Amino acid sequence: MSEPLLVLDNVTKNYGAIEALKGISFSIGKGEVVALLGDNGAGKSTLVKIISGGLEPTSGRMLFEGKEFLARSPAEAKAAGIETVYQDLSLCTNVDVVANFFMGREITRKVLGVPVLDERAMETVVGKALASAGTRIPSLRTNVEHLSGGQRQAIELNRFVHWGGKLVLLDEPFAALGVEQTRRGLDMIRQVANQGIGVVIITHIMQQAFQVADRIVVIRQGVVAGDVARNKTSPDAVINMITGETLAGAGPAG
Amino acid sequence: MNPRTRKALEFVLDNLVWFMLLFVLVVFSIFIPNYFQLGIFANIIEASSVLGVMSIGLALVIIAGHMDLSVESVAALSAMAVGILFCSSGIGMGVQLHPEWLMVPVSLLVALAVGGIIGAFNGYLVVKVKMSAFIITLASYIWVRGLVLVVSGGRSAQDLAPAIRWFGIQRLIGLPLTAWIAVGCFVVFSLIMAKTPFGRHLVMIGGNETATFRAGIRVNRNLIIAFVLAGAIAGLAGWLLAIRTSGATANLGVGLLFNAFAAVVIGGVSLKGGVGTLPGVYAGVLLLSAINTAINLMGLPANFTQVIHGLLVLAAVLLDAFKQTIRQRLA
Repeated sequence: MSEPLLVLDNVTKNYGAIEALKGISFSIGKGEVVALLGDNGAGKSTLVKIISGGLEPTSGRMLFEGKEFLARSPAEAKAAGIETVYQDLSLCTNVDVVANFFMGREITRKVLGVPVLDERAMETVVGKALASAGTRIPSLRTNVEHLSGGQRQAIELNRFVHWGGKLVLLDEPFAALGVEQTRRGLDMIRQVANQGIGVVIITHIMQQAFQVADRIVVIRQGVVAGDVARNKTSPDAVINMITGETLAGAGPAG
Repeated sequence: MNPRTRKALEFVLDNLVWFMLLFVLVVFSIFIPNYFQLGIFANIIEASSVLGVMSIGLALVIIAGHMDLSVESVAALSAMAVGILFCSSGIGMGVQLHPEWLMVPVSLLVALAVGGIIGAFNGYLVVKVKMSAFIITLASYIWVRGLVLVVSGGRSAQDLAPAIRWFGIQRLIGLPLTAWIAVGCFVVFSLIMAKTPFGRHLVMIGGNETATFRAGIRVNRNLIIAFVLAGAIAGLAGWLLAIRTSGATANLGVGLLFNAFAAVVIGGVSLKGGVGTLPGVYAGVLLLSAINTAINLMGLPANFTQVIHGLLVLAAVLLDAFKQTIRQRLA
């Protein structure tokens, strides 16, 4: 593994008396793809929200690029270079594709000192980004509410590829995609990682994890139940880690 | 369907209120004697200036996915503040400033500040304390009106300083300056909503607040600004109201809230948030005003107005649902 980009050190999260995360420690390197696996309720989404600024951890610390890091809001995480694609899509269906692509980062030009949206410049950028990813959407000016689930997810994926940053978190990004689009999505992830960006992908589909990840981290009941390089493990071993048939912390198996 | 008819159809759908306004004006001009005069049309615009300004603020907050029921009372309080300070009879204190024109910016500032402060109070409670905008602003609607009664003691202020009154009397191309102020507000805020990041963010917050928060947009800040703007704009409406009536009474502007709501809904703003444009709202305001004028001209009892407005709101909501189904078929 290259130098670590993000290090989690004993991160916990309690909701009242319930311990959602009991102490998670692992790290992600630059250009590394980590698949985060675990059963429903294992704490994967909570963990993603903590890294992306949606939730604050109860205790523990994180190091981002070697420095102490805690995002109090998604804006702070974004400013640090962490992009997130959530499982329930983060699109505003009442505005068009271009507006969604640039949400919160609009290109503006000054007119009499007032920032004014530069629609033409934004449309050009979006058109190029979608074309290079092979996504076809009839008109960039249609409101997202009129697009299909797959098209919507494609917009989200293209958005993170375009903005990049340093670390990308993907929470079940392919739930609504077809076979071909999923393949393209996995290619996109590889391509992003090759640029030196760290990728964390949450998925339920073992095959996807093995196709794209360098390392597989399994979370069970709020702790890391396994942290293994992909080429040193097998789907069966990982399933055992997820369901708890192997002891937590067990190394390479099978 | 070929692209051109589709484009034309979308254009009609996007500007449906304007077509309705045009239709209504044509029908009235044909069937009501004396309706087709420049003076009548000028009157329609003039009579709608207070309501128009108030509707802008209301529309901003509704587009951002919230609600402001307090705008009517806020306008009344601002008008009362201006009335008490600058009226010379009744409960007016008759404050004089030299030079006289200084009273214009000072009174305007007072009105905007009164509105802005109440807007900030509403916004803080809704956004930071996370209470329902409906309840908070309903409370404000009641207590602010109460405050108007308290400070006025139920009496009125008359004879507004001539320097301020001048805005209601001086005409430019057939319209008093107060009407131009309303038109100017619509132009400025329409541009803000359509062309600036702030406006775009408000629309997106109204559409999906979670998504905008995740995207790093400062949702709370934008929403509080929207509430402050709604309050300040209501204050401006109060200022215009004081000029129009040359003073202020304790029950000034009662009922404007429902007209403002009607105008906003007729103008194509969805109460669910995220949908609607300010030019549409202006068309809604003008539509209401055009109908009022027609009722006056026909000599119908004024009581009919309310029945017609109510039916119009109903029609607007039904039309909106119909528009949605057409759009779905277009996509």
